[in-house]
Amino acid sequence: MNLYNRISVFRAERGLSRRQLAEAVGVNNQTIGYLERGDYKPSLELAMKIARHFGVPIEMLFSFERFEPIAMSFKQPGEDE
Amino acid sequence: MNMRRRSILSIMDDALRWTGMPARVAAQMSGDSSFDREHPPLRWIPIWPIAFSSALFIFCLTWPPMLDGISPATRIGVMVSFMCSAVAMVPGIYMNGPLGKPSLEDDEREAALRKDSYLFCLWLLVVLNGVGQPLLLFMSHWQSWQIAHSVLVAGSTFNLNVTLLACLPTLYASWRLRQLPKE
Repeated sequence: MNLYNRISVFRAERGLSRRQLAEAVGVNNQTIGYLERGDYKPSLELAMKIARHFGVPIEMLFSFERFEPIAMSFKQPGEDE
Repeated sequence: MNMRRRSILSIMDDALRWTGMPARVAAQMSGDSSFDREHPPLRWIPIWPIAFSSALFIFCLTWPPMLDGISPATRIGVMVSFMCSAVAMVPGIYMNGPLGKPSLEDDEREAALRKDSYLFCLWLLVVLNGVGQPLLLFMSHWQSWQIAHSVLVAGSTFNLNVTLLACLPTLYASWRLRQLPKE
């Protein structure tokens, strides 16, 4: 089962480099790169550390379903009609 | 005498500084991340010693009859030198590959990769040895190998095992990792 994440979106929004995030959660900066690309599924501990670092619930960062694009989140209901 | 000893010590100090190791150790102890040692994937280099050891093993197994005139001591001496040259490449490959850094510094992804690499290597070696050893026993009986031939085959088998044990985990880990784009 695929595990999607929005780490790169949150990292870009906070202006963090991979290295800074990696040091904050105690992993190698390459691990953040592999996580963002979906090549590695994090442990629950690492996922919770990342969520805590961004100050958001874990389900905002990780999901089994594809995240909808950010632009779609800002669309008003009924805008397409 | 004292001057002579001091000069020898200072020459040794200069030689050590020339290697760059003291500067590297000082940089690592200072926590400067720009001095972190890179351990890039090595996708092709570990194939060389494995191919060389495999070729050596096959050569020893199918020893050409025209070489029977060579004395056993010469045969073994030449083969040992070939084996040493294959095994000599192995530490450099391991140390510079993705598994070369101390395991205590691994994070969870690297620890998982290290475990997977060694388990794959162990599985492959068990299968190869489990199938190969009875086959070798059968062949030695069937073809009535001489002692010198048996020693050569046993030596090249040991060499192949050592090379596989040292290079396969690096090879596996290197192919599992896809290169990350620069940030």
